[in-house]
Amino acid sequence: MIQGLILPGQDMHLFLLELPQQLVNGLTLGGVYALIAIGYTMVYGILGMLNFAHGEIYMIGGFTGWWVLHLLSRNHQVFMNSAAVIFLMIILAMIVSSFVGVLTERFAYRPLRNAPRINLLLSALGVSIFLRNFVLNYQGAKARTFYVSSLIPKGLQIIHVGPVVISFMRILVIILTFLMMGLLTLMIKRTKAGKAMRATAQDLEMATFLGIDVDRIIVMVFIIGSALGGAAGVLVGLLFTQVDYYVGFQAGLKGFTAAVLGGIGSIPGAMLGGVLLGLCESLAVIFLPSEYKDVVTFVILVIVLIVKPTGLLGEKVPEKV
Amino acid sequence: MQRFFAQSRSVKSSWVAGVALVFILLPHFMPNGYWLRIYTVTGIWVMLALGLNVVAGFAGLFDLSYIAFFGIGGYTFALLSSNQLGIHLPFLVVLPLAAFLTMGVGFALGSTSLRLKGDYLAIVTLAFAEIFKLMLLNLETPVNITGGVNGIYGFDPINLFGLKVRSPVAYSYLIWFFAFLVTFGTYRLKNSRYGRGWEALREDELAAEAIGVNTTKMKLMAFAIGAFVAGTAGVLFASLQNSVFPNNFDFPQLVIVYCMVILGGLGNIPGVIAGAILLSILPEFLREYGAYRMMSYGLILIILMALRPQGLLGEIGFLSKKKKRPDKDETGRLRASTELYYENGKVVPISRERKPVYAKTDKIALEVKGVTQDFGGVRALDNLSLVVHEREILSIIGPNGAGKTTLFNLISGIYRPTEGRILFEGQEISGLKPHKIVSIGIVRTFQNLRLFSKMTVMDNAKVGRFCRTKAGPISILFHLPRHVKEEKETEEKAREVLGLFGTRLTGYRFNQQAIFLSYANRRRLEIARTLMTDARLLLLDEPSAGMNPQETKEITEFVKFLRDTYGYTILLIEHKLDVVREISDRVIALDYGVKIAEGSYRDVANNEKVVEAYLGRKGHGKRAGLKI
Repeated sequence: MIQGLILPGQDMHLFLLELPQQLVNGLTLGGVYALIAIGYTMVYGILGMLNFAHGEIYMIGGFTGWWVLHLLSRNHQVFMNSAAVIFLMIILAMIVSSFVGVLTERFAYRPLRNAPRINLLLSALGVSIFLRNFVLNYQGAKARTFYVSSLIPKGLQIIHVGPVVISFMRILVIILTFLMMGLLTLMIKRTKAGKAMRATAQDLEMATFLGIDVDRIIVMVFIIGSALGGAAGVLVGLLFTQVDYYVGFQAGLKGFTAAVLGGIGSIPGAMLGGVLLGLCESLAVIFLPSEYKDVVTFVILVIVLIVKPTGLLGEKVPEKV
Repeated sequence: MQRFFAQSRSVKSSWVAGVALVFILLPHFMPNGYWLRIYTVTGIWVMLALGLNVVAGFAGLFDLSYIAFFGIGGYTFALLSSNQLGIHLPFLVVLPLAAFLTMGVGFALGSTSLRLKGDYLAIVTLAFAEIFKLMLLNLETPVNITGGVNGIYGFDPINLFGLKVRSPVAYSYLIWFFAFLVTFGTYRLKNSRYGRGWEALREDELAAEAIGVNTTKMKLMAFAIGAFVAGTAGVLFASLQNSVFPNNFDFPQLVIVYCMVILGGLGNIPGVIAGAILLSILPEFLREYGAYRMMSYGLILIILMALRPQGLLGEIGFLSKKKKRPDKDETGRLRASTELYYENGKVVPISRERKPVYAKTDKIALEVKGVTQDFGGVRALDNLSLVVHEREILSIIGPNGAGKTTLFNLISGIYRPTEGRILFEGQEISGLKPHKIVSIGIVRTFQNLRLFSKMTVMDNAKVGRFCRTKAGPISILFHLPRHVKEEKETEEKAREVLGLFGTRLTGYRFNQQAIFLSYANRRRLEIARTLMTDARLLLLDEPSAGMNPQETKEITEFVKFLRDTYGYTILLIEHKLDVVREISDRVIALDYGVKIAEGSYRDVANNEKVVEAYLGRKGHGKRAGLKI
């Protein structure tokens, strides 16, 4: 631990050298965390429950993306237009993930809507374990590698901007995540369905009385949240080129931390929280050995929960007596 | 099992002897060493499941760091009795050391995270468990402490006063001995003020706090006790395995323990033991399906939660007491409910051995000084001041949304006023926690009834005594005189208080769950629960709501009787003006958070502003005054 520790005072030069690079890394990572966080926050906003299985949905998205890439390539070379392949990977991952998300809601959460909280949490835990081990049994424990090099034209793979090295994939991921977040914001703000969602999140019962089909809204929330989670799975696969059955666990924790950091229940909060968390982690890597990167996340989580449990953009709602 | 505790000492000891004999003989009947080992490991699982049952079952806390506590116990033993650090402490020192250390860690984790509600708690504890695992894996460089992935192995043999535990049979005795201690201990905890406090907390945290249960402390206690048990189990496990690895204390193990507790039914001790035994042995028969084991645990959780949340073994006849059905006669036909209410067709009068002795005095009991409460942009109370005199019955009236219940929430400590002060008998109480305010002497009921519906009538009443009893875990576990004395007093007091309502809450109803009571009886029970706290000021929020005219009359008389005979000071919110007229010494009317009238019932009822608040502006309606 001591060996890897670099204090900024001792080597300011190195720090300044690494800073822009880590900012770019942080932004990429942050965008992905934000996509995962949105799924948590939307479900929490409407059902008031922590969807433990969301990390697994992300993992399933990653696996779907891998299969699409695998089936569309021969000897690690894609035989289709790369843009079309990436598009297909993301779209199919979103479809499969939202399908699993909806099934989860239908069979594990809906029967428990009026049950005590701990039952719902345990059911969610059960879904998470089931999905993870389902994938383990049918896909094996070995990590799958995304052979992405053929997806990008040779000259574009790495771009130098001064001292900063940016891979093409990173740029793509940043663009895609922010595009998706923008679309979601528009959808929530401008469309009728978005309005119904906001109403349901505020008061589920009242929304029912006003003629909103709450079950449909909940299914929709699971579709959107799971689709974004699945997309995040593919994007991380493209970035770090690996997926295995266990990635959902860590990603789930990160996404949840991001959601809490931004204020759980708030969609802009989830976006902000995700980006901030990504930046924090990347900057921490400058000072700490990377094995302790995850500790940073948890420390942030605990500090936020203790100092400001409502998060950065969350609102405090007094308990009804 | 409750019957077991009711049995005489000699019957009890013969039971204990019988069970002990079985467990002395059992290891010798195991077909081979393999099964003996499974038998021994089952003992560890039983301990773990019972410990988790305290946290998740009794107190309802979703603790995902439980398995890390198991690990802390195991690694503490590993570090203190092996060559890893060259420390070789005797087992009898390491065991308590590890257990108390684990408890300390549990306490520390609990005190930072217990302010968080269910889901947040789950995620923080999960994060803690992950950090712990990361530590185990990474603390091998630069100094090798935990041994990383390779773990630590080769421990000193257990030495109990010169008696070395080496053989598998000896281990089975040792581990099952501890499993018994844990079983016994959790039974004692369950049937104590702690057990009742936890159950109340699990059912309705706010109501538990408002009736005087220190919920923060009870959660911490559950956490610490769970950690203590897990730590002990960890030591025994490490010694049995003669090695520890990070993946002994990982997420899958946690899931298995949770499945055991859920399968047995949260909080149900025999059920949890059965669940632990079942899930320890069953997988041995399903070896060839090993890969599907974890998957099926996931399914077990989902299916049980959807179909049988009380656990598979929750309500099997021989495990739980046969319920008598007093609402049916000998032929099994349903008796009329009035027959039950008024035994033998007579209305049982409220016992009034004591003559009315108390009346209103001029001494100030409660003083509310310029209190303002804002909710976002809404001002629920605006610079409100009032006093309640000792032994006075003061009624608060006002239209819906006038701020009556908000006032109660402020006095009882559920909200902290935005501005202003509240004094009780000269002592500042604003900003104190609700349970603290109960022990100072103010207790409340709730407008929409917050009983602990799955607890019995008797236990509901006994929870009210929590703030007046002091027995700690040591007292409870060893049945020290303090616990025994307090339990006896609590029981007597509960019988007395429940007896104030005639036969409505007594007899067979003592053991009936509150949820099966009629609406009026639930209201009565809620009042009884407040009387258990020995508070001097009662805040009654619409005690007659939902009652028929006969019941309303009775409850009105009862409230008056409480003041006259027992000298309670009573602050009452009431919508039924007949009730208000009948019993109030003084009436205060609120509207939009402001006091609009104060004085005798007649004055207030005829006050122009009050009439306006209730009926709209004069001249727009036909009636110009309230019926007096």
